[in-house]
Amino acid sequence: MSAPNCLRCLVRPSTAIPLAIPRQASPLVAPFAPFSTTTATAAKKEVKGHVRGGKKLVLGKFKKNKVESRVRPPGPGERKAYRKRITLSNDNAIQVPWLTDMGPGSLLDTANVAKVLALPEEVQDQLRASEAFKTTQSWKMFRKPSVLVRTETVDLMNRIQGAVEKRQTLRVAITGDKVAGKSMMLLQAMSHAYLNNWIVIHVPEAHELTTACTDYAPIPGTEPPQYTQPTYALKLIHAIKKANEKILAKTYTVSAHPELPQNIPANTPLLAIANAAKEADGAWAVFHALWNELTAQGANRPPILLSLDGLAHVMKTSDYRAPGFDRIHAHDLSLVRLFAEALGGGVQFPNGGAVLGATSRSNTPRAPSMELALAQREAEQRHADPAEVPQKDAFFRGYDERVEAVLRSVQVLRLGGVSKLEARAVMEYWAASGMLRAAVDEKTVTEKWALGSGVLGEMERASLLTMRI
Amino acid sequence: MASPANLLRLSLRTSRRLPILRAAATQQPLLRRQFSSTPPRPAAKDGGQGVESEPETFADPGQYLKTFLRDDTITEAEREEATRMLEGWEHLPKTQQREIETVGNDITTDTAPLRKQIVVKRDSFWHGGETDPDLITNEIGEDDFEEDDMMALGHAKLEEHREFREYARLAVWEMPLLSKLAKPFQPPAQEEVLRFRYTTYMGEFHPADRKVVVEFCPADCAGLGEVQQLKLKKLAGARYNPEKDMIKISCERFEHQAQNKRYLGDLVDKMITTAKDPTDTFEDVPLDTRHHKFKTQIKFPKDWYLTEERKLELAAQRKQALLLDEQKRTEGTLIDGVQTIQEALLNAKAVEELVPVMRGRPLKAPVRGRR
Repeated sequence: MSAPNCLRCLVRPSTAIPLAIPRQASPLVAPFAPFSTTTATAAKKEVKGHVRGGKKLVLGKFKKNKVESRVRPPGPGERKAYRKRITLSNDNAIQVPWLTDMGPGSLLDTANVAKVLALPEEVQDQLRASEAFKTTQSWKMFRKPSVLVRTETVDLMNRIQGAVEKRQTLRVAITGDKVAGKSMMLLQAMSHAYLNNWIVIHVPEAHELTTACTDYAPIPGTEPPQYTQPTYALKLIHAIKKANEKILAKTYTVSAHPELPQNIPANTPLLAIANAAKEADGAWAVFHALWNELTAQGANRPPILLSLDGLAHVMKTSDYRAPGFDRIHAHDLSLVRLFAEALGGGVQFPNGGAVLGATSRSNTPRAPSMELALAQREAEQRHADPAEVPQKDAFFRGYDERVEAVLRSVQVLRLGGVSKLEARAVMEYWAASGMLRAAVDEKTVTEKWALGSGVLGEMERASLLTMRI
Repeated sequence: MASPANLLRLSLRTSRRLPILRAAATQQPLLRRQFSSTPPRPAAKDGGQGVESEPETFADPGQYLKTFLRDDTITEAEREEATRMLEGWEHLPKTQQREIETVGNDITTDTAPLRKQIVVKRDSFWHGGETDPDLITNEIGEDDFEEDDMMALGHAKLEEHREFREYARLAVWEMPLLSKLAKPFQPPAQEEVLRFRYTTYMGEFHPADRKVVVEFCPADCAGLGEVQQLKLKKLAGARYNPEKDMIKISCERFEHQAQNKRYLGDLVDKMITTAKDPTDTFEDVPLDTRHHKFKTQIKFPKDWYLTEERKLELAAQRKQALLLDEQKRTEGTLIDGVQTIQEALLNAKAVEELVPVMRGRPLKAPVRGRR
């Protein structure tokens, strides 16, 4: 603290002089400046010349209607959270009296075709944990999340069940028109798996893996080099853990895992391995160990459902760059590689299971190899004339052999419009929920069904998401 | 001016007079040197012609003959002739001599303006006073309408009529004769695989009349197996149409049609020879059809036709659906959205108004009176 009065003059501090005055009047000029060669008085800037007065140019003085926003701006991440929010219930919707919950065998029963079944609470939580619900689906309109059982649903579930019973792995690529219910089919398969106590590993958006929006790191000692995505792996482990907690707690390791950050001896619940992933750094090792344990041959393992939404994103070159600035193929990313191997039939699940990949139509890059392979498989499935099976364009260079190898033996499930009976069932559910203000008779059903050509999303747009009441 | 009555009058005018003598002669302007770097010089006198002096004018032929006889350079025969003519002149009666003199004087005075030399006015705008000596026709006064002819409109109408009649004559007299030249159509034989197309502009010159186009199908060429045909298609490149299975080549490189046709014939021969050559069958090159856009013919689906059976079937389906609806309505299982909402509103329990309660304090009865 500086002395209140000048040190040079030996005047005593007087109480008559208020101490605050010199501070307020002008800033204290330091008696000497350590970095200056001029005296303090000389260095003081003098006001010389003309001081401009009068009018000055003021820009934007006529913008009178500037409304001062008194609203608190949204915090960081708040808008995104709002955008990504999933609402599964609407208290204003009317409870549908005849709605029944889905049971373990509901989706296998042909009697349930053209019926709307509600998802049980527990399954809702599991599906939410594995991000099976999407913001674009209109869950927020109804009291309880419910799904329409389609002919294709029962067909696919029976195929999966049959494969599981034979301890085989069913590999299906789900494709179809826009808003035809491809993601919903995945959700139904997952609900079936959760209800039957299977392990479900679900990649909700494949583009998160390949559009270079999450960090990546090379795995040392791999040739050609492979890359991990630690943060995404950690997120996935958490999702798996949350969704499959009960089953993981009941499943035990067959071998010890000393390479993990937490030492896991044999005969430990798999949940312990999942719990070992605390940080992104060791996440891939944990995931790898978990995957090895789940697919360990000869052990008592539940059936596994591995599903991915947005197949085209993982069937092409990713946006990641290798150190040489070349693009990394999506199948060189370890997580995608794992899925691709499983879809290609390279992995045998010990107790059977299914690998499902759904294409997307709204957010999809061009993957010519995938499109061609799916068309070829489809033609083969309906035993088409060999001349009608689409062939490669000899003068097109964009084909990808790795993708072709993966999709060489998958089955293709094409989803289109629903039948009129199914359309009626879902419309009755809408009307009973108070969301469709019309009598559900043949006329209304045919009208909406024809408007959307049977595609459920289009029917929904025509009747639910319109502003006309 | 151009009223219909006036036009009619002018068009129907039958009396036709000869037009007045137009400008008597073209007048040559005085030739002047356009540009010169040397001063003008008189022509050499020793050349014989000498400087053109003003020609002497004579009042009568006697005067002229006397002057002629005075000249020393004339021959004897000329002198005799001139002397005889002079005697004849002098024997004429005085009155006749005077008449001839008057006529001569009149001609001289009347033609004076024709002989006058035209001097171009230097300051005039674009030599305005000058008549153009280089015209193809004598245009002067051509466009003046003398009211002795039909209008151009009438002439055009007449010309049109003449043209109609000409073609009518052709159609009646000459066209029937063409049928004698007609040949019956004969489909191309097995070995005639090339189809040529020529262009004619009916005798007019046109840059495209030399163009020749040849089309042929590789499958028609004799002696070509599957492999050779494929090679031929690959050789043709973008000239191959995979939809029609035809190769089409054109040529307009040479000046005459025949040359172009010859070139095309040679080229096709060469292509077929190359296609037959077994050293390289182009097996590794796929057939390129990127140049061709395949058109899919969309046809109305057969199942969509509203036949009588289909109509009956649809009617039955609709009737069934209506019956089902009616049955549901009577049973009360038909779901009506509006009705559902109304019922739900009626059955809804009145929600009690929420009263805030301070933590740790019992719920108080509502305060009466002032607070």
